[in-house]
Amino acid sequence: MTSIDIRDLTKEYGTTRAVDRLTFRVEPGRVTGFLGPNGAGKSTTLRLVLGLDRPTAGTATLGGRAYATFDEPLRHVGALLDAQAAHGSRTARDHLRVLAASNRLPERRVDEVLAEAGLAAVAHRRVRTYSLGMRQRLGIAAALLGDPPVILLDEPSNGLDPEGIIWIRELLRRLAREGRTVLVSSHLMNETASFADHLVVLGRGRLLADTAMREFIRARVDPRVRVRTTDGAALGDLLARHGYDTVEREGEGEGEGEGERLIVHHARVADVGRLAWGAGLPVLELVAEEATLEQAYLDLTATEAEFAAQPPTPTEQPSTPSAAQPPTSPAAQSPTQRQEA
Amino acid sequence: MPFTPVLHSEWLKIRTLRSLVVGLGAVVLVTAAFSALAGLDNAGDEGQEADFDSLFSAFFGVSFGQIAAITFGAQAMSAEFQGGALRLSLAAVPRRGRWFAAKMTAVGIPALAVGLLTGVVTLAVGRAVLGDRASAMSWAEGLRGAVGCGIYLALMALFAAGLTALLRSGVATLSILIPFLLLVSFVVGDMSGNAADLLPDRAGQVVLHETWDGLLGPWTGLAVAAVWTSAALLAGSWSVRRRDA
Repeated sequence: MTSIDIRDLTKEYGTTRAVDRLTFRVEPGRVTGFLGPNGAGKSTTLRLVLGLDRPTAGTATLGGRAYATFDEPLRHVGALLDAQAAHGSRTARDHLRVLAASNRLPERRVDEVLAEAGLAAVAHRRVRTYSLGMRQRLGIAAALLGDPPVILLDEPSNGLDPEGIIWIRELLRRLAREGRTVLVSSHLMNETASFADHLVVLGRGRLLADTAMREFIRARVDPRVRVRTTDGAALGDLLARHGYDTVEREGEGEGEGEGERLIVHHARVADVGRLAWGAGLPVLELVAEEATLEQAYLDLTATEAEFAAQPPTPTEQPSTPSAAQPPTSPAAQSPTQRQEA
Repeated sequence: MPFTPVLHSEWLKIRTLRSLVVGLGAVVLVTAAFSALAGLDNAGDEGQEADFDSLFSAFFGVSFGQIAAITFGAQAMSAEFQGGALRLSLAAVPRRGRWFAAKMTAVGIPALAVGLLTGVVTLAVGRAVLGDRASAMSWAEGLRGAVGCGIYLALMALFAAGLTALLRSGVATLSILIPFLLLVSFVVGDMSGNAADLLPDRAGQVVLHETWDGLLGPWTGLAVAAVWTSAALLAGSWSVRRRDA
């Protein structure tokens, strides 16, 4: 199976460093979400992997080979970079036939991927008449054309209708189940959370995180339990005695319905429920508050955003290795380094 | 990666774009139509000026047909610079030199075929319209004109395609070439000497004349035009191979 290996990858445009000594590996058999704000370097990284841009330094290989060394690359790697890449005056079918011909793929595959993308009925229409969602489907169809073991998609959910979003989600999960390497860039957190197993997070061209999605969320956002009871003070004391020292009372809960609402950090509903029952305290509500990818992501990027908002000051920063980086305070940078280590 | 599938793919790209197919048809129609109009317009002048060139009268329309030819060349290449199409093309064919060669072959061969057809049709139309006045033109001269017309139009289409690859824009290419062909060459060409004869269109069109008195003959003229085209293709190829897509 083919993995994507990115090693010390760096790309500079003039004085801007779009990708900064990036090192990570995308493994087969799972969907890797490629996250980061706009301009973080996601698309540049994908272009470097596909050999479209020349790296300033470092390498990107697929199964140990540079992309440009593949004889018929569509059989190895399928990519969607830009839904506007299809010429408006060509029909969708002709667009795919052109691609298939260059890699000696049978014309049968064209009709198969059109059917898979739900475009069979409109295959003979000019791409100009397509909505953005249909163009995305066509771009995904093009990526699947060579039945490749590696699939790279840049913002595939853009412009898709709810049906299309469910389709892409299931498609990505199926491709990963089939053992393929799937890398999907996005800036939509909830969407990414619905299909990704693993996350690679970029900020300003640098690697901020490379972890399993569950761990990423768990490490950054506390699991919390929300509990409502008639006697908040008694339950608070009880929990404190059992080592839950991060109990806080939520004032706003008092208005609606009876009782008081407490938030218990680092707790499980089963433990809190059992304790309350043992003490004879009536529980009116007991909810595990699931941490979301969005919360975890915002927690990670908060520090990044902080120094991004600072006015650039030409102070000497011995801790910043690259001249192209904006000035950062050591405090703001530490979470990054923690992640990288 | 063998060359044939890449060429097949590039040929499909041209065949499946209606504007390109129409553009090729326009080369024949425009050339023949303007030749006929010019012939009819001069039909009344029985004066027979001393420098009347019946071959060039028959191929007068090439001055206009070449605009269709360069538009075809520029459009075929500029389609790659819209909405990231080049990235898709180069992702499918990462060997950029080979890809560019296939693209230019797919532009050049149809342009040559259509150019030769244009030459034959225009010659027939021209002879018919000129009637007696074309009697001085030998069949050998006519054949030379028809073949030369085909080669010339193919060279101009490739010149435009190469320039488009360098400039990464069909609009930029056409806004340089069309004024150049319509104005500069007419104005500068009439008043200057040998240097202007080396411009691609003037050099390439010597082959369409019965007689010539400049530095270049019919075939050396086409060779000079071919040097211009080669330069444009080399520059275009360099741009495609060296720059980020």
